[in-house]
Amino acid sequence: MATAAGMSLLTPQILAKASDSTKFQTLKFPCLNNPWKRSTDFVARRLYVRPMAAAPEKLSDKVAESVKNAEEACAGDPVSGECAAAWDEVEELSAAASHARDRKKETDVLENYCKDNPETEECRTYDN
Amino acid sequence: MAVSTVYTIQPLNSSCSSIISTQTKSHLGFNQKQQVLFFSKRITTTTNSSRRGIITCSSAEKTVVIGLAADSGCGKSTFMRRLTSVFGGAAEPPKGGNPDSNTLISDKTTVICLDDYHSLDRTGRKEKGVTALDPRANNFDLMYEQVKAIKDGVAVDKPIYNHVTGLLDPPELIKPPKILVIEGLHPMYDQRVRDQLDFSIYLDISNEVKFAWKIQRDMAERGHSLESIKASIEARKPDFDAYIDPQKQYADAVIEVLPTQLIPDDNEGKVLRVRLIQKEGVKHFNPVYLFDEGSTISWIPCGRKLTCSYPGIKFTYGPDTYFGNEVSVLEMDGRFDRLDELIYVESHLSNLSSKFYGEVTQQILKHADFPGSNNGTGLFQTIVGLKIRDLYEQIVASRAEALQTAKA
Repeated sequence: MATAAGMSLLTPQILAKASDSTKFQTLKFPCLNNPWKRSTDFVARRLYVRPMAAAPEKLSDKVAESVKNAEEACAGDPVSGECAAAWDEVEELSAAASHARDRKKETDVLENYCKDNPETEECRTYDN
Repeated sequence: MAVSTVYTIQPLNSSCSSIISTQTKSHLGFNQKQQVLFFSKRITTTTNSSRRGIITCSSAEKTVVIGLAADSGCGKSTFMRRLTSVFGGAAEPPKGGNPDSNTLISDKTTVICLDDYHSLDRTGRKEKGVTALDPRANNFDLMYEQVKAIKDGVAVDKPIYNHVTGLLDPPELIKPPKILVIEGLHPMYDQRVRDQLDFSIYLDISNEVKFAWKIQRDMAERGHSLESIKASIEARKPDFDAYIDPQKQYADAVIEVLPTQLIPDDNEGKVLRVRLIQKEGVKHFNPVYLFDEGSTISWIPCGRKLTCSYPGIKFTYGPDTYFGNEVSVLEMDGRFDRLDELIYVESHLSNLSSKFYGEVTQQILKHADFPGSNNGTGLFQTIVGLKIRDLYEQIVASRAEALQTAKA
């Protein structure tokens, strides 16, 4: 007990010291830590870019999770509203996952380039 | 004991981004990190067209509204893509908006997903124990108001239902297009919304085919098994039968998909029997027919002039009654294997509303990778697309005429 109390009294100071030291050791700004390197070598990390659409991996996890939840919800009472709502969620997520898969298939690099630059040589179309 | 570290701000024209942070630490070991981020000011100019306001318009510019009803996983998206392709151009989500938006905008058409009018988000529905099929989960008042507003030429701020997160996102601006398509589970459920529709379509997929399609769609997902897919369909069935299915009696065109009769005991769903049920007497809509309008025809095109592979193709056409309405039913059972089968069949159908010989075939070929391009679903979806185009042109012409006579 005494040792435990002793530990608990000591730990904040130890933690403080540890965080103190870490603060001095880890400086997370490489462009200031390495002044001999030009600023152009460092990527601007200011902006956090949100991914354009949920990655299918996340959706797949969501689908798997929702199936498990639905099975649990229906184990109790198969005709309840909760059961139906849970399977409806599974259906919704499966549909979203399938749409995401279709959209991934549609991202052809040349098509995307040509959408923005139709006048370039690779993208010219002759309709007549 | 306070420790603070200060970093200098880099000048604006350097390419290195800078973050000023001062860290103060109290004696208890708490860190108070204050970050000051430097933002560059972006001045956006809004043009007149994007500014929301009341736009007065003459009756010739009223939007044509089409309704499409179908259960989830039944081909609404494919139909939408075919339909927008008939009008020209590709339909894309609004640029610069919410990437999870369900809206599609092309040159002439805007497609709105009615899931955006959910009144309860996913957690709300879970708490109340209702499915998305239940009318209690949808805000029909808002749906009616906004569809009416768009039809009258007023832009609206429509909510967004994010299918990935299951939440209702901030609204997006919808400007009135020439043709508005509302697709979802309940376009014809509410009487007021139904009255706004100029044309309505219902995709009726039979249970066996629905099961086969959902297996194809979901077996790639690792969370799913055959049992889970079956359980999902079974659990949603009561709500579906109660709320969604009755809408088919109001539809002007029903595309019914059934298992084939050409192959006994087929359960793969590769060959389908598709029926296009067209309501008679709908304004600006002339049903497609085979050989002789109003008579009953049974036609197998395969023979001396056309050779088909197993199981072949069979067409029937005839008048019928459907939920008390007079209808004409065109049915196709079988599968297209070659281009010449398609063009042969097209040349024998009448009242297709195509602008040139072979337009249906050309449209189907343009999207040969879409599901259903080799059977009746693709064929009838394309034909309905042409019919909608014809309906739109007739409405525009009749309004222009009305304006002329009013001026005179």
